[in-house]
Amino acid sequence: MIDPGMIPTPDPNPLPAPYWVLKLLLVVTFFLHILAMNFMLGGAALALAARWRRKTNAFGNRIFVDVAKKVPVLMAATITLGIAPLLFLQVIYGQYFYTSSILLAWPWFLVIVLLIAAYYGFYFVANRGEKRPRGTGTVMLSSVALVLLIGFIYTNNITLSQTPERWAAMYFSGASGWRLNLGEPTLAPRYLHFMTAAIAVGGLLLTMIAWANWKRDAEYAKAIFQFGGKAFMYATMAQFVVGMWFLVSLPRDLRMLFMGDNPAATGMMMFGIAGAAVSIFLMSGALRKESVKTAALGVTGLTALVILTMSEMRDILRDAYLKPYFHPHEFAVKTQWSPLLLFLGLFVAGIALWAAMMLRYGFGKKAGTAK
Amino acid sequence: MNFPVWDLAFGAGLLMALVAGLHVFVSHFAVGGGLFLVVTEIRARRKKDTELLEWLKKHSKFFVLVTVVFGAVTGVGIWFTIGLISPTATSNLIHIYVWAWAIEWVFFFLEITAALLYLYGWEKLEPRLHEWYGWVYFVAAFASLVVINGIIAFMLTPGAWIENHRFWTGFFNPTYWPSLVFRFCICLALAGIYALITASVQRNAALKARIVRWGALWTVPSLVLLPLLGRWYIHKIPHDLWMSARGAVPVATDSAWAACVLLGVTLLLALVALIRPGRLHLAFSLAVALVALGAMDSFEYVRESVRKPYVIVKYLYANSVYAAAMPGDGGFDMDNINQAGVLKTARWVNIRTLTKDNQVAAGREIFRVECESCHTANGYRGMRQEIMKRRWDHATTRAMLGGIYLMHNGAMPAFAGSDDELSALAAYVDTLAPSPPPTMGKVDGKTVYENDCSMCHRMTASDQMFTELPKDPQAAADALKDLTTLFPVMPDLKLSDQEREALAQWVNRVRAALPAGPAAAEQKGGE
Repeated sequence: MIDPGMIPTPDPNPLPAPYWVLKLLLVVTFFLHILAMNFMLGGAALALAARWRRKTNAFGNRIFVDVAKKVPVLMAATITLGIAPLLFLQVIYGQYFYTSSILLAWPWFLVIVLLIAAYYGFYFVANRGEKRPRGTGTVMLSSVALVLLIGFIYTNNITLSQTPERWAAMYFSGASGWRLNLGEPTLAPRYLHFMTAAIAVGGLLLTMIAWANWKRDAEYAKAIFQFGGKAFMYATMAQFVVGMWFLVSLPRDLRMLFMGDNPAATGMMMFGIAGAAVSIFLMSGALRKESVKTAALGVTGLTALVILTMSEMRDILRDAYLKPYFHPHEFAVKTQWSPLLLFLGLFVAGIALWAAMMLRYGFGKKAGTAK
Repeated sequence: MNFPVWDLAFGAGLLMALVAGLHVFVSHFAVGGGLFLVVTEIRARRKKDTELLEWLKKHSKFFVLVTVVFGAVTGVGIWFTIGLISPTATSNLIHIYVWAWAIEWVFFFLEITAALLYLYGWEKLEPRLHEWYGWVYFVAAFASLVVINGIIAFMLTPGAWIENHRFWTGFFNPTYWPSLVFRFCICLALAGIYALITASVQRNAALKARIVRWGALWTVPSLVLLPLLGRWYIHKIPHDLWMSARGAVPVATDSAWAACVLLGVTLLLALVALIRPGRLHLAFSLAVALVALGAMDSFEYVRESVRKPYVIVKYLYANSVYAAAMPGDGGFDMDNINQAGVLKTARWVNIRTLTKDNQVAAGREIFRVECESCHTANGYRGMRQEIMKRRWDHATTRAMLGGIYLMHNGAMPAFAGSDDELSALAAYVDTLAPSPPPTMGKVDGKTVYENDCSMCHRMTASDQMFTELPKDPQAAADALKDLTTLFPVMPDLKLSDQEREALAQWVNRVRAALPAGPAAAEQKGGE
């Protein structure tokens, strides 16, 4: 057990907004980040799988090229959307997060190096396209492997940040920062839980690409729809095993939160399981009836809801882990009204401008037509 | 104090410098280069210069690959790195400016989206609309500079925030405006410098010449303006801090010189490129960029060095000790640590009580929590090197550590903790270097000065060492017997008879020839 005196004191500056505002922003922006990450990683992994199957799947290579082109943008979205939750995480949980990061300093620092390498790899593959496919498979594989490694480092850090009782022994056995949190019993299932979700959501990305190509090139669209839809189904089925493993790996009192002890958490758990099951049936039906819209919109919407619920469950789990140490009601709060309102105003205006950018790009006057 | 310390053998500061040094060079390009893209596009269309437009498409791809990937990720990288090296400062900056960071994030999001759509939209969008994306990009990028500049400037000159802790007071602090204009000027200069790189690989000599001349229009005026803006900036920095770059701290002074010289060389090279603009070689353009990188990083280094001993001036020391007590500071303020002792206060130490047998081990712990944010045992700013260079024995080390806050224009915080803890720290530091062999033969006054005096005193006519020490050699040697009666804050160094005599004689010898020097005059003014 840790000397309670070792857990860092929260920052002396009061919270600049009520706790719940920061918490809400944390959970919502984390959800957006993880959604983008799932699209990016799952898309890249499935692109790679399609390329491996190009001998048996006539469209294998085309799927690879098509999806690979989208990965850099999804990576940009992942990183950009990751900044906000990282900010709000540090506001509320900084005392745990900085500590665990320092204990895993080298792997945590290397995230940046690995990310730059992976990102340039994705751009390399996207730019090469069909024209010069040599080497793109290997580069894609390396980039996907790096992203998987980054995810693993994240899981290590986040699990360590919520188990302060491990800290002292780790730190006093050496502070060089070359270590991971491999002794954590939930590490493997938790990590696989996230990565499996990425494959499923990557499958949804493929169904969206199928939808976009439906009228233009039906044969190709059907092929990518089948490939993506099945990937979603198999990954989500696998999730039942992985999720169960994650659940049983949790300490008993935390596990019981989702099995009756905490009604809200239990409800979310049931919604998550039911949502996943329904999404499998929906997808299966959509594949049979070739109803791409159901898959691209319906299943994606439902899955997004499930992921949002899971994000909230993840937050409940974190607070349960930290319960002996973390007392949010003790935070001093001094709302900085004018900067807060300015942020909210700019946030709304930013969303509007962002939407305008996307719309004008999709529907705006095209080059060559402006005469 | 509050957090564990990452034991980075080669020096935490070096890692920080590497990440930040590369990031700033790209992030400023991301702002200036954005304006450059859209203005160049408008110009090319107006002049119906399709060649220039074709080049600009390639340049915008280069721009995105450099800024959206490397620039954005290293920006996050700085955040990761400061969190690992200086978690208390990071936490404070996050908490004080949550909404500023959040606002910057909004701009960042718009910036990245606009950059990608601008790049992908070249063939797809009608010119006016394409330019609109360019403008959105630039405005968002500039706005993110407007935000981050407030936080960076705050660290150097928090101004009245120290008293009122108000968001806007700290944000629009004394160096806010000069820093913003200065940095924007750097952005514009870098836009032209990066353009040289993609221009240099063009085969078409006439086009290359046009780009080089156009780039020079961005680079040359900005570089000429920078020294003037720099003066304004310096003027807003508190004088006592700025003295560090005027001779008081050797590295800060050297970096200030390097910044000026390299700025001049960048300007010179930018002008040389204009002599034969059609024949600009890639190697030459990279050389210009490299020199500019050196100039820029030297500037950033000066800013960081004059800020010492603080990371947030008058609020938080570089080693995460708060300058003054405040509610919720966990007791990590100078007064409390002095009273309660560092081993009792710091969270992440394994030894809580000093005994006769654990001196060195406890000293190691104290070194880790108080010194390792800047120093290493045997590496970057290594203690071993310092002690061996100055040939300090144990008593000297102990005495010197007691007066570290006087060294180098006060570049280091005072030791925080009890006298016994200071002795333990000295005992540990002492183990880092072999004890110096006893001096043989004649003692040289200059060496004594360099080893034992030059950390605090400087060779200027106004320095008290040269103004106050008696002229009579015997009286001077006697006065040096007990330094604390000479001047109460001096470390209690015990010099040998020979050393005192040699030092007194040497002081008399050089005293007459010392330059008053601008730094000396200013230092007096600053006191």
